[in-house]
Amino acid sequence: MLVPSTSSAQPLVCRDCDALLEMPELEEGEKAICPRCVGVLFTRGRNSLHRTAAFAMASAILFVVANSFPFLTMRAGFRESQMLLWQSATGLAAEGYPYLAAAVSVLIVGAPALLIGGLLYVVMPLLWERRLPGAIPLCRWVLHARRWNMMEVFLLGVLVSLLKLGKLATLMVGTSFWALVALIICLTAALASIHPRELWGRIEEARR
Amino acid sequence: MTELAAESAAARGLAVCHVCGLASPVSARRCPRCRDSLHLRNRESLQRTWAFTLASLLLYFPANLLPILRVESFAGPQSSTIMGGVIQFWQEEDYPVAIIIFVASVMIPVLKIISIVWLCLAASSGWQPRGMTRLYRVTEFVGRWSMVDVFVVAILVGVVQLGSTISIHPGAGAISFAAVVVLTMFAAMSFDPRLIWDAAAVRAQPAPQH
Repeated sequence: MLVPSTSSAQPLVCRDCDALLEMPELEEGEKAICPRCVGVLFTRGRNSLHRTAAFAMASAILFVVANSFPFLTMRAGFRESQMLLWQSATGLAAEGYPYLAAAVSVLIVGAPALLIGGLLYVVMPLLWERRLPGAIPLCRWVLHARRWNMMEVFLLGVLVSLLKLGKLATLMVGTSFWALVALIICLTAALASIHPRELWGRIEEARR
Repeated sequence: MTELAAESAAARGLAVCHVCGLASPVSARRCPRCRDSLHLRNRESLQRTWAFTLASLLLYFPANLLPILRVESFAGPQSSTIMGGVIQFWQEEDYPVAIIIFVASVMIPVLKIISIVWLCLAASSGWQPRGMTRLYRVTEFVGRWSMVDVFVVAILVGVVQLGSTISIHPGAGAISFAAVVVLTMFAAMSFDPRLIWDAAAVRAQPAPQH
């Protein structure tokens, strides 16, 4: 718990209720809770930067794998067809729904790519207390991309589709499917390891 | 438990940057750290929130009444709405899937629209600020799961497209439904929970303590 601000020291303001507080000194693994609205102000994770960098790197590799191998294979009669991850969006475009296709590709390819690439570009140099040109606007985009990355919802959709089509045809999941499962875990871990406030603090301290 | 009335930052002219969280004087116009524009409160928060909410409410009807999917198989052509999909899973005794789809596609959008309306009313009245702030955080977090049915359509269309004995086509319900989800996300993003606290502070004021 924190005390309301009294001095003119570095202020900390709760985003959700606008309480004016004093910046606390947190140890690794501690979190600051707003006394007014009981929301989490920020946390300081253990080895947060290294964890984020490691998970972001793993996510990048898994993202490439998830988009390069067959995602689903369908067998109906003697015919067999394979679908890549991004083909779930292009199929909609071919059926005359370009806007829906655009939305789906942003949610499952565009936003994750921006999120992973941006995270790597911003966080890796921070390990050496460096900041690359454009890191600040990019970090802003990364934080926005978080909410538009819906890979975990897509995964639930895959499971429902398997059941839905299972009665009409034989469906098999491919390499990409497992890469996607691992990717969701790694990306969630990468984002959970660092709090935006800590990330911005480190960017500010880093040399250009 | 008595609460210390923490002073609001806006009262001292401090704006918290909505991107990086740094507090700086609003007179600076741009955040000194990340260069994003500074505002004491989200611009036209309630107006925008109401507009997005009304638009999503209107689209909620075509999203549920129009088919999201048309399947042509050896059993003949068959269109299904979102609720039709739930009923089908239920009849096939896939109860967990039926419940997941029902919660994600039918319940969450309705609850999300209701809670945003409720939040807007709380922002005018200052009712229960702590509980409403919690409702805001939950509302922001759960909405994304409604997208699951749109992804199901995308996957089925994508996998079946490459020629086979069955064919699957998306329906107009799918795009309405995707629009409902995106619009409610915009509504939650435009909403500013600090307005609830402002209203609560105004409400608490006219009662001087003796």
